Amino acid sequence: MMATDANVCPYPAGDSTLARMALEAAELGFDSIVTIGGEGSQSCEIEVLRGIVISAPSQKEIIRQVRKPAARNADVIFVNAGDIPFNRAAVSIREVHVIRNIHAARKNAFDHVAARSAAERGTAVDISLLPIIQYRGIRRQRALQQYADLLTLKRRYDFPLTISSGARSILEQRSVREAQSLCALFGMTGTEVREAFSSVGRIIEPEHPVRVVG
Amino acid sequence: MRMKQRYILVQIHPYGVAPDQREVYFAVAEAVTSLWGDVAAGLAQPAVVFCGGGYAVVRCRRGTEKDIATALTTITTVADERVALRTVATSGTIRALRRRMQSIQPLPEAGEVTIEGHQFMVHRYPRQKVDLVEKGIMHQKSLFFTETDLEER
Repeated sequence: MMATDANVCPYPAGDSTLARMALEAAELGFDSIVTIGGEGSQSCEIEVLRGIVISAPSQKEIIRQVRKPAARNADVIFVNAGDIPFNRAAVSIREVHVIRNIHAARKNAFDHVAARSAAERGTAVDISLLPIIQYRGIRRQRALQQYADLLTLKRRYDFPLTISSGARSILEQRSVREAQSLCALFGMTGTEVREAFSSVGRIIEPEHPVRVVG
Repeated sequence: MRMKQRYILVQIHPYGVAPDQREVYFAVAEAVTSLWGDVAAGLAQPAVVFCGGGYAVVRCRRGTEKDIATALTTITTVADERVALRTVATSGTIRALRRRMQSIQPLPEAGEVTIEGHQFMVHRYPRQKVDLVEKGIMHQKSLFFTETDLEER
């Protein structure tokens, strides 16, 4: 998986079906997408991974939810970011793959402690392009500031990042090249964007040292 | 003194939407000003020089084309209609861009379908794409399906 859109929400949550979003994603330069919900045809042009979003008020609740069958069947488990203690706890849960909605959290909610834990456990943090595209004024400025802070932490502690469009429609999907130019707004380089696009594959199938059996 | 210009070709999505050139200009100006500010927008001098056949050509000062293309990706509506402008190419001449324009026409098989109690007009496009536009006068809902999705219903 070289380029994965880490979060799309197809019909019935949005107005475009999974197959159509996959078709558009292929035309936009992606080779896989992570879908939250959605129904319909499974025969898509590109690889489609099933994701689940956990929105929980406490670490206990996340642990309870990741043990549910829906979470066990998902390829990628997302947790919505919260305050500082919540994020520190969330990144240390083994089953959690990605912390998302960081732009909606308070400033510095994802701090250096959470960053270090995320790097150690290989938990990724998601950068959603949605606030950069949809928001205007102070809300977009805040999101850009949050992403710039996140990028500083990433460069220091080297935890994985993912990039998602958060699209509910084919009209909200953006190409790999467009995502690169949007990420450049908060200082992300082309290499970092490419690495972030390919990190979903590494998160769900982490590299382990080769073990000689027998 | 005449400054060098660059032209950006964008494809307008969804297919079949034909916004007015003036409305596209307003959307471009709003997006550029909102993202880069008045100073940068003033220096870039963005303008829409062509709009039709599912494409638009945006003119700007040479050296600002990347910034303008970034701003174009943040456009979500034109005249209250949901659209996406996808950059196809950048060039120094409109002539070069005209060669890149490939008009996408709906396939002849149209029809009607009812989904969740709403009646939709079916517009079929190449690559099994099916756009459903709700029947009505204004603010019609659009759904984006594939041929297989439609057959499964």
